[in-house]
Amino acid sequence: MAELDEKKLKLTVKLVYYGPALSGKTTNLIRLHDVLSPELKGEMMTLETQNDRTLFFDLLPVGFRAPSGLLIKFKLYTVPGQVAHDSTRKAVLSRADGVVFVADSQSTQGVNNAESFNNLAENAQRVGLDFDRLPLVVQFNKRDMPNIVSEEEVEKRWSRTPWKVVYSSALSGMGVGETFNELLRIVYADLNDKYALLSDHGTNEALFLESVMGGLSE
Amino acid sequence: MSGNISERLPQIDLDHSFDLEELLSGVDVDKLLRSLGVLTGLEFALLNEGDDLVAGKVLDGTDKGAPISVDLEPIGSICASTASAEINNAAAVLFMAILKCNYRYKIASEMHLRIVQADYDELQRRHDELKESERKYRELSDSLERRVAEQVDTIENAQRQLYQAEKMASVGQLASGVAHEINTPIGFIQSNMSTAQGYVEKLQNYAALLKSKATYEELSAEWSQQDMDYVVEDFALLVKESLDGSRRVAKIVGDLKGFSRADSIGKEYADLNEVLRKVCSVAKPKMGSGELKLKLQPVPSVLCDAGALGQVFLNLIINAAQAMDGIGCIDIASSSQNSELQVNIKDNGPGIPEDVLPRIFDPFFTTKDVGVGTGLGLTVCNDVVKSHGGKLLVDSVVGSGTTFTIVIPLIKAA
Repeated sequence: MAELDEKKLKLTVKLVYYGPALSGKTTNLIRLHDVLSPELKGEMMTLETQNDRTLFFDLLPVGFRAPSGLLIKFKLYTVPGQVAHDSTRKAVLSRADGVVFVADSQSTQGVNNAESFNNLAENAQRVGLDFDRLPLVVQFNKRDMPNIVSEEEVEKRWSRTPWKVVYSSALSGMGVGETFNELLRIVYADLNDKYALLSDHGTNEALFLESVMGGLSE
Repeated sequence: MSGNISERLPQIDLDHSFDLEELLSGVDVDKLLRSLGVLTGLEFALLNEGDDLVAGKVLDGTDKGAPISVDLEPIGSICASTASAEINNAAAVLFMAILKCNYRYKIASEMHLRIVQADYDELQRRHDELKESERKYRELSDSLERRVAEQVDTIENAQRQLYQAEKMASVGQLASGVAHEINTPIGFIQSNMSTAQGYVEKLQNYAALLKSKATYEELSAEWSQQDMDYVVEDFALLVKESLDGSRRVAKIVGDLKGFSRADSIGKEYADLNEVLRKVCSVAKPKMGSGELKLKLQPVPSVLCDAGALGQVFLNLIINAAQAMDGIGCIDIASSSQNSELQVNIKDNGPGIPEDVLPRIFDPFFTTKDVGVGTGLGLTVCNDVVKSHGGKLLVDSVVGSGTTFTIVIPLIKAA
């Protein structure tokens, strides 16, 4: 739940990259850090890793100032994908304004993807998020790998869900910006409803996307 | 121990924005500024977001210094005593590096705290659930004990009622046997007596003739005509027969009296041979064309409930008779050796099938037709023998017969 700090004229938006272990959540954030050119971009902070595996979370802060003077700050988090760290996932997911579910496209990972997605739905409910209304984009990552599920198969499974599917290869950066752009688009609609971004703060969707994505916005 | 851990631990939102003072906690900022002073030969002022002095020296100039930002937002500024953007910026970079480390540490510890709290809450929840389920199980076990006691009561009541019914049934069998036994002698006694009544009339008439001073010839003629020789002879026979009959009735009633002690509570010394004899005379009419053979050896008196044991013997004999379907022989033997007294009731009936044998003492188990047997006969027999500290044993060979052995320990009179 984004929080509007009226005194400091600040809106903090929390976006979470969720998904099974080793599906490329941290890589997504690293790429975003490289390619985004928002007005304000902090350094990427990695909290506790072990053998390149995220134990706590990664955090990338970006932001911009709206024409009204409102500072809109985004905090991009990743969760640890390993099953054991469920408490951490819940803590990170708590009060999220939007989620990117990073699925592993390799055909051997179907079960892990499904378990992680169910875990997302369960944890969302546990931390008090309405999963049906939570802005969510599904990313099928690792499209550069051999032995991946075909786009037809993915379509067959996801076309009836309300969620947009984006294909990516986070290592090369392909699809990473597009995924984030899609998420921002639905998050904007949500935030505009709640905080009147357009009428009170002079920020329409195009400006919102442009200010965060830089030249990458679509 | 109860309650949420968040009541006892400081709770900071993960997305909380820290101010300068918070991020300086644990940092010896005066020492830092002094070192900076030694390095640059200048003095510094560290200001928070509201431009209040946090550390260092109040400086006169209007120079705002260089902003210090953490997490995208300016949280304060640092200013050197000599206005120099370059030095201010360098000092700000230094401070930001230190504050960022602290920021990182704070959100990591905050996350750790949350996880610990979540795990603790989860454990607490499970603990409460376990306590609740333990309470339910305890309740269940309490009510279970009560319900088992109730059920046992119900079953015992039913068993007593059935036992009573069984007793009544055997009393009924007994009564019909007794009625038959008594009916025969009573029948011929009645017929004898009505004949005797006629003889008495004849004797009275003859007496009247005698008193009328009739002559010897007249008397003699009348004696012959009335066939008085036969009357006198037959009268004596009738009386003898009737006396025999009444003795038989008296004997049956006597047996019955001994047997009816089935209801008497408490034990006394009794001769089981005597009990067996009485039971046999009661059972005889039930035997049809079957035979009852008594092979009794002298046995010492034993402290027992003779009525109850009589019931047991009768029950076993009637069972055997029913099994043989009225044809065959039942041997009843008694013996004693050492401290035990044994009664064997052996029939040459069809025997008990192997699959039935282990169940014959089970309550309500019966092979008889519905309404004929309650399935309690042998159960009660077993209980009665056990209540005498004895054993009821069975040995059966299909096709050649069954032997029930009752073993009663001899208890010496005190």
